[in-house]
Amino acid sequence: MKVLIANRGEIAVRIIRACRELGLGTVAVYSDCDRTALHARLADEAWHLGPSPASESYLRIDRIVDVARRAGATLVHPGYGFLAENEDFAAACAAAGLTFVGPSAGAIARMGSKTAARQAAAAAGVPVVPGAVESYPEHAPEAAIAAEADRIGYPLVVKAVAGGGGKGMRTVTESAGLSSAIRAARSEAKTAFGDAAIYLERRLVKPRHVEIQLLADQHGTVLPFVERECSIQRRHQKVVEESPSPVLPAGTRQAMAACAARIAREVGYANAGTIEFLLDADGQFFFLEMNTRLQVEHPVTEMVTGVDLVQWQLRIARGERLTVTPEQALTPRGHAIECRIYAEDPDRGFMPSPGLVRALATPGGPGIRDDRGVAEGFEIPVFYDSMIAKLVAWGATRAEAVARLARALNEYRVVGVQTTVPFFQWVVRQPAFRDAEFDTTYLDRVLADRNGRPFVEPGDDDERHAAIAAALGTWFRARRAAALSPAADGGAWRRAARIDGVRS
Amino acid sequence: MTFEVEVAGRLRRVAIEPVGPADAAGGRFRVAVDDHVLEVDARPTDLGLSLITSDRTVLDAALTGLPRGEWIVEFPHVVIRAAVDARRFRRTDSGDASGGSGLQRLVAPMPGRVVRVLVKRGDEVQARQGLVVVEAMKMENELRAARAGRVTDVAVVEGASVESGRLLVVVE
Repeated sequence: MKVLIANRGEIAVRIIRACRELGLGTVAVYSDCDRTALHARLADEAWHLGPSPASESYLRIDRIVDVARRAGATLVHPGYGFLAENEDFAAACAAAGLTFVGPSAGAIARMGSKTAARQAAAAAGVPVVPGAVESYPEHAPEAAIAAEADRIGYPLVVKAVAGGGGKGMRTVTESAGLSSAIRAARSEAKTAFGDAAIYLERRLVKPRHVEIQLLADQHGTVLPFVERECSIQRRHQKVVEESPSPVLPAGTRQAMAACAARIAREVGYANAGTIEFLLDADGQFFFLEMNTRLQVEHPVTEMVTGVDLVQWQLRIARGERLTVTPEQALTPRGHAIECRIYAEDPDRGFMPSPGLVRALATPGGPGIRDDRGVAEGFEIPVFYDSMIAKLVAWGATRAEAVARLARALNEYRVVGVQTTVPFFQWVVRQPAFRDAEFDTTYLDRVLADRNGRPFVEPGDDDERHAAIAAALGTWFRARRAAALSPAADGGAWRRAARIDGVRS
Repeated sequence: MTFEVEVAGRLRRVAIEPVGPADAAGGRFRVAVDDHVLEVDARPTDLGLSLITSDRTVLDAALTGLPRGEWIVEFPHVVIRAAVDARRFRRTDSGDASGGSGLQRLVAPMPGRVVRVLVKRGDEVQARQGLVVVEAMKMENELRAARAGRVTDVAVVEGASVESGRLLVVVE
């Protein structure tokens, strides 16, 4: 049995590993610039999809389905991103007789609409963030939106109905800012999702982002897992995730897990999914949205429960029954924290830093997991998301996990491109992080206050050492160049070239 | 051999003298920097150089050599930029868009696609005003003016793919 992995990068590598462990064959797909990408090197088979832009390769449903058929794959795993939450892709797989490793096209479509998802949650008796019942299509009159905004009250959030990944979202603190927020959210949503419809939601005060991972088999078993907390966000994008939440009382965990399971049953959900909640300062939680796929941050759940979520996705897709017990899923063993390492320069406003990975040293040792999609010698392309790895640390306690993470970050060396490692070295030192006193607005606030100061400021000794290393680097470079091309040889080469030139 | 190394805006003279045999495979060096004199055992590694100083301090340096004598030096806990003998490379061009007065040549800091050109020739711009938006790795990056001035050239159009270092806008 073969699995086609319709993705790239670290998640494609992650899925290949799960397939191997289950004895399943692996079929990778790749674009022009990904010919030597890690996923295309590790799989049993690799099929070329097309040019580098995602719209001509990883987003081409027709080509991927065609490759699956020709390669004789029976399962298609979409990973996250690209086509993972595209109901047309799920439907196209089904139509071609392929098993899509994920929920049905119907469930993807229903939960993909933020407003329909809110209705499903409300129908399951789960509290939703107070907000508008209806959504506003592209040309809805602004007066109606403004009236609804006054009813909900400020501050509020304007959100894209088709939203995701922090795109098409604007916070508005007073009525004067509503108009421009609507315009900005609509324009971003139109570009990102091809749909300018928006809705309004109340902005909770200092909310924390807490989410429940689910597995559901095709026989009616829905299994909620211990929560993850992802409140460390930059511009609505998660950058650090952990499990369990450092603040959630056990009673709230049980209630939140029960709510998540009810929503999954309400929509007849199968396979892996995540229900996201906001937890307000009073400990109340509200449904935010559902992600109908594997999440980037799934490893922290795996680390504290010992359950391999990707293996289970494949087993569920093959029709197996869940055998993980509710106790195993809901009882964390220790604590796990993940950092998303991006090829970005944190000291230049997180500017993307694509390019050649000249050398790489990755952390190891107790409690460390490095889910990485790039290898030494790989040219990180400009065409896709800039996440290159996820570093996960496990510890018996949160403090031990933080200490291991800090230790492992110092071992993580990527030469040739800038990464967000220095930024995380700074994060793990912040008292608010160590004490878990944060909410979803924390990081953007402290980043704004820093005003672009470098995350790790070298001391005088560091600067002197750097001067010595650079000078010695220059000395060795000159010595190597001399060893490789002595003057006599250079002359011989030039003579040979001249002779060749005359001949041709 | 003496190098002038600029780190964090400060120029340091670094004198290097091999102590005994030293070649491309490594060696021991007497290093004089500012008023510090120390001995350093230096060996090339997969990442750059492994250094052990005379007081047995380990410095595991990952090194990236850039054009014009620039280096990115990465120690486990900190990343530092250094420029070796930069004066040799410094010509009359005021190519950098930072500080001072005169010409600002805004170049693409990474390969990508120009999604918006926010100014046109002849526009007066303020310091930190957005000039061009370049999309790379699914992110839009607004490139701004370092100083106030007048746009004298717009060298790209919206939708264009640009390589790293490509000239985008000139502000005078």
